Amino acid sequence: MQNISKRPTEVVINSSQIKNSTPNKTKLLRKASKTFLITSIVIMILSGIVLFIYTKSLLENEIEEELYSNKDRVERLLKNNPDLVGIPPIMMAEKTEISEENVLIDTLIFDPLQDEVELFRQLSGTRNINGQEYKITVRAMVIESEDILSAIVLTFLSIIFLAFIFLFYLNKSRNEKLWQPFFVNLERLKSFSLKSDKPLELNDSDIVEFDELNKQMLALTSKVQADYRNLKQFTEDVSHEMQTPLAIMQAKIETLFDQQNINEKQYEQLSSLQFDIQRLKQLNNRLILLAKIDNNQFTADENISINETLKQSIDNFTEITQTRIALNGKDEITAIMDKALASILFNNLLTNAIKHNFGNQPISVVIEKNHVQVINAGTEGLSNPEYIFDRFYKESKKPDSTGLGLSIVKKICDFYGFLPSYRFHESSKKHIFQIEFDT
Amino acid sequence: MKYLIAEDEKELQQSIATYLSHEANVCETASDYHEASEKLELYEYDIVILDINLVTGSGLDLLKKLKKQQKKCGVIIISANSSLDNKLEGLDLGADDYITKPFHLAELNSRIKAVLRRGQFGGDNTINFQEIKLDTMARSAYVNGKAITLTRKEYDLLLFFITNQGRVLSKAIIAEHLWGDDSDLLDNFDFIYVHINNLRKKLTKEGAKYIQTAYGSGYKFIAD
Repeated sequence: MQNISKRPTEVVINSSQIKNSTPNKTKLLRKASKTFLITSIVIMILSGIVLFIYTKSLLENEIEEELYSNKDRVERLLKNNPDLVGIPPIMMAEKTEISEENVLIDTLIFDPLQDEVELFRQLSGTRNINGQEYKITVRAMVIESEDILSAIVLTFLSIIFLAFIFLFYLNKSRNEKLWQPFFVNLERLKSFSLKSDKPLELNDSDIVEFDELNKQMLALTSKVQADYRNLKQFTEDVSHEMQTPLAIMQAKIETLFDQQNINEKQYEQLSSLQFDIQRLKQLNNRLILLAKIDNNQFTADENISINETLKQSIDNFTEITQTRIALNGKDEITAIMDKALASILFNNLLTNAIKHNFGNQPISVVIEKNHVQVINAGTEGLSNPEYIFDRFYKESKKPDSTGLGLSIVKKICDFYGFLPSYRFHESSKKHIFQIEFDT
Repeated sequence: MKYLIAEDEKELQQSIATYLSHEANVCETASDYHEASEKLELYEYDIVILDINLVTGSGLDLLKKLKKQQKKCGVIIISANSSLDNKLEGLDLGADDYITKPFHLAELNSRIKAVLRRGQFGGDNTINFQEIKLDTMARSAYVNGKAITLTRKEYDLLLFFITNQGRVLSKAIIAEHLWGDDSDLLDNFDFIYVHINNLRKKLTKEGAKYIQTAYGSGYKFIAD
């Protein structure tokens, strides 16, 4: 088994294959709006509080000043008119013996005019006028100033709120416009495919950073594209170049067979060599097949019956294996695909099932609804089912498999948009490979 | 029979020549386009084995020339490229068969025999080996004039044995001949036993014991 930790994650050819599930991620514009909203709410609250405190203290000072000046007026009136009683409950003067300092308090007084208890600010103190101590009390209604206060703060808050709403939408549309080239290019990048020969095309931008980003993206993608092409070409070239040396080796072994002077042991060695050449050849053919699918060289798409194709494949297998294969076609499936590729698809699935079948149990092939299942017996589920369709991944230690059969299955499925999957059925101990057709 | 082997890989060319030189055949070789072209101008061949990628030119061009001259020789193309387009192009140009590297020499031999049967002896569809007679049109087999019932694979196997008589055939060679690319599907060739044993039984019943085991696990079709 291969070292799992070193396996690269699945190669992504089309950016669209990258899943869009990005939890904990916020959209750029939403993020900008969110920041703006939070800032404006904080500013609104803070400035509201400051305005409230400031206006309140201003109003209180105003009331106090008024109270002191009213008291002064009462005192002046008392000098001329010692029997003055004032205008209760706003201004009052009464004779007293004890002298008191000026005291400012809040007090609740029943106002008979309004027929309710009201909050008043009260300044009281004694004053000696013409040898007589008078206690003078002046009051001012607090309610009025509170009304003014709330009116001011509310007006302020509504103005600032409206301003923020206006700014919010202005900002949003501005941001959308500003980032427009970025979003357009992001979409282009998403639909970019390594397979296509077309280079990535990005919209020009008059913003320096975006322009730089574009240039970097273009340089990067064209490099990756070139590398990808080279790699593909390399695999193909190597596979083709190997054919001739393999042909020479094979031919030499056969000429040796043909000479009468070899012994049984030498024949064994030679035919085992022949077998290894066969494996190399098989590996080569599969690599070439993968490259061909990549290069879209299978274009003879036609409407074929999956049931019919499977039946033919199974018939072929009965000649080359003792394992029984039972076909159970409950439904009829057709698909538009290349006939040769359809055979290769099922041959590979069946080969895999036969090779890894446990005991002498029959293999069953089920055609149901829109999927085909190839089911073979096993002992336990795969330890790394997520790698099963990867190139050169081998779960079993069987030395004679190329590790390409199932990756060819995957490649063909990807090419036509079919969905291959694997699962192990615990209770019946069966490996189930399923291909879902999009019919 | 006179063969021309136009193949620029000397080793492969020599192996093919050695292998085909049995049965009183004459094999000439050409290592590049010009040599092949010259030999084709000067001499007559029954079969030309033509590599598509000759160092100094394309085998397909040679094929075009050959067809223009209206020479009556069979052409078998060998190529390292298994692509269908190449194959179709070759066959369209008038090649009689197409075989992809790497191939078994026994396979090449049986293809040559098939081309010869179709061409030179046009009309004669029978192959005789001792008391065995094969009718290649009807795909039927007779022993001492008595028809024997063979499955499709058994008939192919018998034909392959007769065309490669006296040669050692390993299971890998037989599997590839009978199942072509499908022989890659399974990695052991045990399934061959079943078919060979069935054929052997049917022939032995009629007294034709020609399938012999060679070196333990190979086969040889030979008259004692």
